[in-house]
Amino acid sequence: MNGESRTSTILTLLGISFCLLATAFLRNVWGRPVPLTPISLVSPEFTNTATARLSYAERIRMKDDVSLFDCYGCHDRKKPPVLRFDTNQNLIIPTEHEDLVMGHGTHNRNNNCFNCHNEANLELLQTRDGRELKLSESTPLCGSCHGPTYRDWEAGLHGRTSGYWDRQAGPSDRKDCVSCHNPHHPKFPTRQPAPGPNPLRPGANPAQVHAKAH
Amino acid sequence: MRTAVRNYFFFLWRCARIAFVGDWRYYLWMGALTVLCLLGLNAYAKQFVHGLMVTGMSDEVSWGVYIANFTFLVGVAAAAVMLVIPVYIYGIKELHDLVIFGELLAVAAILMCLGFVTVDLGRPDRFWHLIPGVGQFNFPASMLSWDVIVLNGYLLLNVHICGYLLYCRYQNKKPAKWFYIPFVFIAIVWAVSIHTVTAFLYVGLGGRPFWNSSIVGPRFLASAFTAGPAIIILALQVIRHVTDYRIPDRALLLLRNIVQVSMLINVFLLVNEVFKEFYSGNLHVASSKYLFVGLHGYHALVPWIWTAIGFNLVAMVLLVLPLSRSLGYLNLACVLSIVGIWIEKGMGLVIPGFIPTPLGEIIEYAPSLNETLISFGIWAFGLLCYTIFLRMSVPILQGTLSKANEGQPMPPAGGAAGARVPSG
Amino acid sequence: MAGETNPPSSLPEPPPGAGLNRRSFLRNSAVLASGLAALAASLAPLRDLKDSTSMEQFLQKYYKELTPAEMEKVLERIAREVEREYGIRPHLRDVKPLDGVQFVYALNLTRCIGCRKCVHACVAENNLSRNPEIQYIRVLRLPHGSLDVEKAEHNYAPDQVPEKGYFYMPVQCQQCENPPCVKVCPVHATWQEADGITVIDYDWCIGCRYCTAACPYWARHFNFTKPSIPKDRLNPEMAYLSNRPRRQGVMEKCHFCLQRTRAGRYPACLEVCPTGARKFGNVLDPDSEVAQILKRKRVFIQLKEDLGTSPRFFYYFDV
Repeated sequence: MNGESRTSTILTLLGISFCLLATAFLRNVWGRPVPLTPISLVSPEFTNTATARLSYAERIRMKDDVSLFDCYGCHDRKKPPVLRFDTNQNLIIPTEHEDLVMGHGTHNRNNNCFNCHNEANLELLQTRDGRELKLSESTPLCGSCHGPTYRDWEAGLHGRTSGYWDRQAGPSDRKDCVSCHNPHHPKFPTRQPAPGPNPLRPGANPAQVHAKAH
Repeated sequence: MRTAVRNYFFFLWRCARIAFVGDWRYYLWMGALTVLCLLGLNAYAKQFVHGLMVTGMSDEVSWGVYIANFTFLVGVAAAAVMLVIPVYIYGIKELHDLVIFGELLAVAAILMCLGFVTVDLGRPDRFWHLIPGVGQFNFPASMLSWDVIVLNGYLLLNVHICGYLLYCRYQNKKPAKWFYIPFVFIAIVWAVSIHTVTAFLYVGLGGRPFWNSSIVGPRFLASAFTAGPAIIILALQVIRHVTDYRIPDRALLLLRNIVQVSMLINVFLLVNEVFKEFYSGNLHVASSKYLFVGLHGYHALVPWIWTAIGFNLVAMVLLVLPLSRSLGYLNLACVLSIVGIWIEKGMGLVIPGFIPTPLGEIIEYAPSLNETLISFGIWAFGLLCYTIFLRMSVPILQGTLSKANEGQPMPPAGGAAGARVPSG
Repeated sequence: MAGETNPPSSLPEPPPGAGLNRRSFLRNSAVLASGLAALAASLAPLRDLKDSTSMEQFLQKYYKELTPAEMEKVLERIAREVEREYGIRPHLRDVKPLDGVQFVYALNLTRCIGCRKCVHACVAENNLSRNPEIQYIRVLRLPHGSLDVEKAEHNYAPDQVPEKGYFYMPVQCQQCENPPCVKVCPVHATWQEADGITVIDYDWCIGCRYCTAACPYWARHFNFTKPSIPKDRLNPEMAYLSNRPRRQGVMEKCHFCLQRTRAGRYPACLEVCPTGARKFGNVLDPDSEVAQILKRKRVFIQLKEDLGTSPRFFYYFDV
């Protein structure tokens, strides 16, 4: 009878545990999914297809304000502008153009405005071999010095092309040099990066936590 | 024909009934396992609804304790065949009945494996996509498809062999040799294949240098043949303790020999692996570094693996010494082996393969509460199955549950309820 | 412990005496009942199963086995589901590969500045889950002189990029010619199409994540829970194999924006790149940008080339 009463006790305990378990299950006491940490939506500036800058040709296309490109609004057609240099051969930028930052070539290699601009006709650009180009068609001028890059650009290897890779299916839009590069300070500008990844289970790296603290 | 079928179903019915009959210890054990199963089932229901987000897995570590347990249990299933070899190849007839206990363990282990794989799937409702002919079965390219075939085949093999032998014993008939001997030999080869295929799941991945090594297959087999027989040693002693079925010491010592040799090979292969990873100093060592010494400040698995290695070494020493001929030390060695190899093969194999990611990132992994409950639930289910199998097979082998005594009351749990009244 | 015959009085059932018999029967029934109650209660969380699979979706055939008529029905069903979920009727097609096309992607490591616009353009174009976050592209910041990804920083967040002493390498699915993910998928849920893009049938994937383990580029991503896309940012131009909203429990990855590229357009990541570091096209066309790059540039990096995956993604420098 000893075993029988023990069996009875065990079975009764089991019955009670089942009932407790059923209650716990119905009330969903544990194991609820942890709500996800909110992740803010990315700002639209990181998904637009804008180029680094607006070129003169683009401004014309967009019918933007191009009054600043009207050189003879201030200059005299009969008097070509004169450049002034300081004792170190650095160009002195006139106060009227002080918003211009000259930085074409390191060590001031290319700081003579009329390496590119035509002093006789400020609405035109000039190459070393005497070709004259419109301000909105500056690309061959860049190519006259930057040969390898120009070669790449012509094949589509350098710079941006958007639209259709299948030229028969639709048009493609080749961006010219000045859509990305400021001709006076051509180095591609730095920018703020878009936010980094948010992994599902980040965890903390002790080393990184330590590094970030310093 | 119809009588034969009816008899068979009556036999199954009696077996099912006997599973509900036992003494208080039986009810306590089965009750506890049932509670764990229910906890696991509830946790799985949550996972089914909310997705695998309720586990600790991520894109970085996309396999966790489920596949770790799966890998360990495939080894256990394969090793159950280790009893078959001495009996059928070396002709040690007195251990004949123990083959059944080993193969029943294999069946329970395979059921657990199938359970673990199912709970790991993101879309278990689409399981039918795996059925050859009905779905799309990527055989022979995908090693997972091989695994589906070999695991289910092994299950069927063992169910057939055990079922046939037990039913013949129940009917007090001599089993027809052609109906089970060929399957037994197939099972020996098949057992090696299930674990090799599981190893190849990992080895075939070129993008994970921690796994893409030829030593993984041999290590799997060596560790399986250590942990599996160790579990059988413990199971046989439980049978000895709760039933009056005679288990000769010879069986335990034979299994001890197997565990001993396998553990020696396992440790030797570990030394090989460590040397290969660390001596040349090439960059593919990152995962091993993470596991053994930590990487860039992350070291979650380091205490685990060193515990496992410690356990394995102590077990190895114990097994080599004649000390372990005595059951107390043997049991200690077995428990240490099982735990050590579970860690080594589970967390120590699956997780470091994902850390660092192929892009060099380190995101660690820890199982969640739900994952742990599901894992315990499946283990409990497996143990439940194995206990039921033993509860059915021991009386059949003893002759107390047989065709001859149909219509009589159910035999007790091996006589322990009455024959051995506790003295205390 | 030889087996002794046990005295009948110590059998657990049936014990002698009708009273005990009835009591034990009641007790056993009560335990059984409470057990069944606990079993039913354990499945209580299934009450919350909302986005459960419909019968049609459960029985849906494999993509390659769908007839055009069946595909129409499937597309209609998916479009209805998207409309119900997001309130927008999508333009959903099944876009087939173009003939005579082998896509190749080239990326100029001299020009990438690490701005991550490609990452977010992809998220927007392809209806990726915002939370939990899935991103097909991961930009690595590497120190000068090394391609060792262990030295990579994924979470760089300086005020301005590019930073001195580093270069940036965006990594996405390399659409390998010898893809390990295709080899390991047990149900053929992922395969490579004629134009080179490796695609996934989201309604066939069982979510075993073997392909994640197999991919050497960490390009495959899993939906650990129901993906969340803000309704106002849904891209309604969808294709069956690419950017239609996915479900919980399936894999997804970069598919070269096939809803755009198979119509002849550039992928979203390329369109948004400010420096023009990304180049894409049909390598079989000798005049295409990518064919010219492969002809003219001297050094290419195919990531993890030694694994034999033969990626279609070429990293190059301006030399």
